[in-house]
Amino acid sequence: MVGGAWMQFAKTAPQAKELRRQAGTWLKELRSRAGLSQIQLAERLGLKYYTFVSQIENGFGRVPTESMEAWALALGVGPSEFARRLLSYYDPELHRLLFEVKQ
Amino acid sequence: MTVMQFPRSKMPPHGWQAHETQEIVRACAETLASGKASGWEIGETEAGDPQLYLLGPAPDFDCILCVSRLGGLYVLEDGSGRILFEHPNLMLLAEQASAAVRRRKAAMVAKLVLIWGAVRETFEEKIEPFLAEPIELVTHVAPQIAGFA
Repeated sequence: MVGGAWMQFAKTAPQAKELRRQAGTWLKELRSRAGLSQIQLAERLGLKYYTFVSQIENGFGRVPTESMEAWALALGVGPSEFARRLLSYYDPELHRLLFEVKQ
Repeated sequence: MTVMQFPRSKMPPHGWQAHETQEIVRACAETLASGKASGWEIGETEAGDPQLYLLGPAPDFDCILCVSRLGGLYVLEDGSGRILFEHPNLMLLAEQASAAVRRRKAAMVAKLVLIWGAVRETFEEKIEPFLAEPIELVTHVAPQIAGFA
């Protein structure tokens, strides 16, 4: 029954969800490029379980602002570049205003 | 810190069993019915450990709660990765999930009350003096204007 309700909801899946999924795919690519498993990344981030890494890569969670730097360093990316790219997924309008609108 | 891993030989069957999802979704039924959660979806980790995500309302549909099964252990996390509960007993975890969404609702009400208090205080401190001044002015000037008339 609930699954049925979900199917109905899935038809109108919004942009925010799709962008989170794209962010997850990008993070997965970065992790693969860094040669890390989800468990190894979680270890580098000091997490007890690796489930949160999976939650984010599957597009259901966001990298918390306070740990963006740690994620960037663990994945071998510059924190500023990393945060900017994530902002383009998590808050595209703010990203546009900050980085794309020409003076 | 060492990330907890579980030997594959101790793993229960791959993916969620129907009774497991039923138990978790039943615990969140009230939240789903009230619209505080918009739905749920299942997924899995890279290593094949099953996950169930309870999603919040539109427009963001963010993950509110995530239940994962690692070996024989169930892990309950919120959308920020905070571990709320970990236990091999799914019924206990379902109870905790239900309590967590109730706490979330209470926290949202508390936040709204706090915002309302702040708005009211700002209004009283900043706006009311501006409103009071013209009234005071009219009170002083009105008799003089009446005298000219």
